[in-house]
Amino acid sequence: MKKAYLELKNLTKIFGNGADQVIAVDNIDLQVNEGDLVTLLGPSGCGKTTTLRMIAGFHTPSSGDVLIDGANVNTMPPNKRPTAMVFQNYALFPHMTVFENISYGLRIRKEPTDVIKEKVDTIMGLIGLEGLGDRQPRQLSGGQQQRVSLARALVMEPKVLLFDEPLSNLDAKLRVSTRLEIRKLQQRVGITSVYVTHDQEEAMTLSDYVVIMDQGLIQQIGTPSEIYSHPANRFVAGFIGKANFLTVNVEKVTKEELTLSYAGKTITAPVWDERVVKGDEALLVVRPESIILSEVKEDLVRGVVTNSVYFGSQMLYEVELEDSTTLQIELADPQDHVIFDHGQQVGLTFKSRSLHVLPMES
Amino acid sequence: MSKYSTTRTQRINDLKKLAKEPFLLISIIVIFYLLILFVIYPIFQVVKMSFFYDGKLSLKNYADVLKQSYYIRPLFNSIILGVLVATIATFIGFVFAYGVTRTPMKAKGLFRLIATFPIVSPPFVVALACILLFGRAGIFSGVLGNIYGLKGLTIVEVVAYAPMAFLTLIGVLQAIDPALEEAAMDCGASRIKVFTTILLPLATPGIVSAWLLVFIQSLADFGNPMILSGDFTVLSVQAYLQITGMFDLARGSTLAILLLIPTVVAFYLQKHILAKKSYVTVTGKPTSATIKNLEWYIKYPVYALCIFFAIVVIAFYGMVVWGSFQTIWGVDSTLTLKNYTTMWRVGKNYILDSLYLSAIVTPITGILSMFIAYLISRKQFFGKNAMEFSSMLTFAVPGTVVGIGYILAFNTPSFLMPVTLTGTSVIIMALLIFRRIPVGIRNGIAALEQIDPSIEEASIDLGADSSMTFRKITLPMITPAFFAGLVNCFVKSMTSISAIIFVVSGRWNFITVAILGFVDNSRYAQAAAMSLLLIAIVLIAMGVIKLITDRLGKGMQTILIE
Repeated sequence: MKKAYLELKNLTKIFGNGADQVIAVDNIDLQVNEGDLVTLLGPSGCGKTTTLRMIAGFHTPSSGDVLIDGANVNTMPPNKRPTAMVFQNYALFPHMTVFENISYGLRIRKEPTDVIKEKVDTIMGLIGLEGLGDRQPRQLSGGQQQRVSLARALVMEPKVLLFDEPLSNLDAKLRVSTRLEIRKLQQRVGITSVYVTHDQEEAMTLSDYVVIMDQGLIQQIGTPSEIYSHPANRFVAGFIGKANFLTVNVEKVTKEELTLSYAGKTITAPVWDERVVKGDEALLVVRPESIILSEVKEDLVRGVVTNSVYFGSQMLYEVELEDSTTLQIELADPQDHVIFDHGQQVGLTFKSRSLHVLPMES
Repeated sequence: MSKYSTTRTQRINDLKKLAKEPFLLISIIVIFYLLILFVIYPIFQVVKMSFFYDGKLSLKNYADVLKQSYYIRPLFNSIILGVLVATIATFIGFVFAYGVTRTPMKAKGLFRLIATFPIVSPPFVVALACILLFGRAGIFSGVLGNIYGLKGLTIVEVVAYAPMAFLTLIGVLQAIDPALEEAAMDCGASRIKVFTTILLPLATPGIVSAWLLVFIQSLADFGNPMILSGDFTVLSVQAYLQITGMFDLARGSTLAILLLIPTVVAFYLQKHILAKKSYVTVTGKPTSATIKNLEWYIKYPVYALCIFFAIVVIAFYGMVVWGSFQTIWGVDSTLTLKNYTTMWRVGKNYILDSLYLSAIVTPITGILSMFIAYLISRKQFFGKNAMEFSSMLTFAVPGTVVGIGYILAFNTPSFLMPVTLTGTSVIIMALLIFRRIPVGIRNGIAALEQIDPSIEEASIDLGADSSMTFRKITLPMITPAFFAGLVNCFVKSMTSISAIIFVVSGRWNFITVAILGFVDNSRYAQAAAMSLLLIAIVLIAMGVIKLITDRLGKGMQTILIE
């Protein structure tokens, strides 16, 4: 049923020229289905904002195409594109009231006054801004300013809604509640959205799909659970959540299961990446919550507790293995467990189904 | 500054506290005496004089305004000129600022540099250059027709004051977050709509402010109209001629008051009405991203105007340099250094006097203005607001008014000053000091208010007493403002003319007066040579002070020149 509504094809953006040139976005391809919310997630300088600004039309691609609803918009200036953006610092017009801010685009379009009034009132009701129409932006709280910015974009009924780190200026609590509201609203209106953020929690909770970028390249596209449980490479594994990396030998590969060896002990893991073959070294990605600590036993990998931090709901251990690799281990509900002391020898059990194996050079 | 109401007991307490600090009390009294003597009293004398006719109290001088052309014509002319210059200069300044902040223009630094030429040179150098270019013996003689009059004056004052509008407006445009323009565009607004609905409304308070500043400058300008006004009489020059030519103090004073009124109105509008209307940036951190791929029909006219204006400025200043090496301007173009030697022979005393007086005045002004700034922002005493107001007063008053006031006030002994000051170096130094302290005080207050009281508290908390805290913490932090004040004072002292011309004498004279004299006698080459020497002195002084501050490691980056 779904079709690609927003498409980026071989999109590249190079800033500067000659020796100073920087490839901000390097030949990326992306398809966003109608009604989906896709986040572009990555560290600063990864090219996510540049990509967003190319979709909006503020940057002209060096090469490649942007297609919206099948139409190539490359040569279309930002004011003609069917996109609307929610800006990082809201960019509310300080010399206009809330109503004037929200109705700005409709007035530019020269829609009839009564239509404008109706549309703006509807959107203000939808977004919880009733009664604030006559306020000046400076009289609003940060959260309210953010809503006005969202309303101003939504009222245009754009084909694609763009978010440029819209929550980064809000305090932590407001950020959590606002992102839930944004998600609900986006799903209710069913508007195709691209959302740029560097906050992985934000990306995980908001998105249908997460696009992870680094150094101008797309590292992985997937649902939030895919990118967490099956990161495509070492960068993604390290960027999303916490990860421990172990170099292991692949002993046996069956249809469902990999048999790995580490420090003479055997670990089993599910098959995921077909590049992992028998006889090779591979990279085992272990999330801190995927390890169980116990007394030393014959067939378990061994380590020494070097640090422990108590968080109430969980206990964080650092365990040094025999080859000096340090692993981070999280145990939920520490009241229910034996507490291990510094210097104590422990045995490590890896939860097979939670493990993920990548080829060495990924 | 003090917003709380001072009740009677509080005032008494303030007085009691002051009585315990005799040094503070004495210095406040001395400062008040000086402010009354050198700021209030002279202006009061001008006002008083304008109400006397034939030695009797009368409104005749003002009644004459309505019927006699020697009053109404210059008033009318000054305002016409001010409006024209302010409008054109603000337009050019705006286009320049737009070019620098909103387009991918190349060599922005160069344009900025060129734009600041007219600010560090004496105001009438541009008029001199105009004569060298378009005057009777000029290279482009006749191209512009007769330059003596409204046309020539407008051109010259636009060149001289557009940079001021530019510097004001660049600050205004930089403060407007480009994301606002992007947001408007994203909502479907075309480039022109973005300009008319977002940028222009947001910049309007700044534009009006720049316009009023230039208007005030043009009204107060004396050097350029003195050289170029011809039959087009303006207030500042007429007031001067009435007093020095006709010895008609009453008429001169009345003209000065007519000059003062529009200036004060413009100043009031600029300071108070606009301060309330300006839009403080409501949003958080500004983004640096701007849309740089502008349409050609916006980009090229902007570039063309910027380049044109830059060429005009370079041509004007280049002409002064070129002219200073000519044997006889327009007749004999053999290159020579003769002008420099003649200029030195004739004007040596003028140059040395100005250097001597400016050098004495500069540190005094710096220390006095910092001290007053400190009193105003950190101490409580009776009459504080009066002190702030009177110390800032000369900033709004045109030099001509101040100059006339000094003649009236100090030609004869009075109860405030038992000896005649006219003809002494004291009157010149007092004039220079009290013309320049407003900027110093303003910078000082701004610097002091930026120092979070908790920084001083931290020092006290760590065991330093309050005098140690002042020396180790407060003083170093206001040092950049202090040195900026020194630069401003020296530059403006060396290049001032409008007030100074009334108080110079055979014994104590001034370089700007000498240059004006050369121009008067059509000795343009010598005038050019001396102007260049003056510019060189100013630049060297700025460099030396900059070197000192850099050595102090304070990294003074902006030199405030007002």
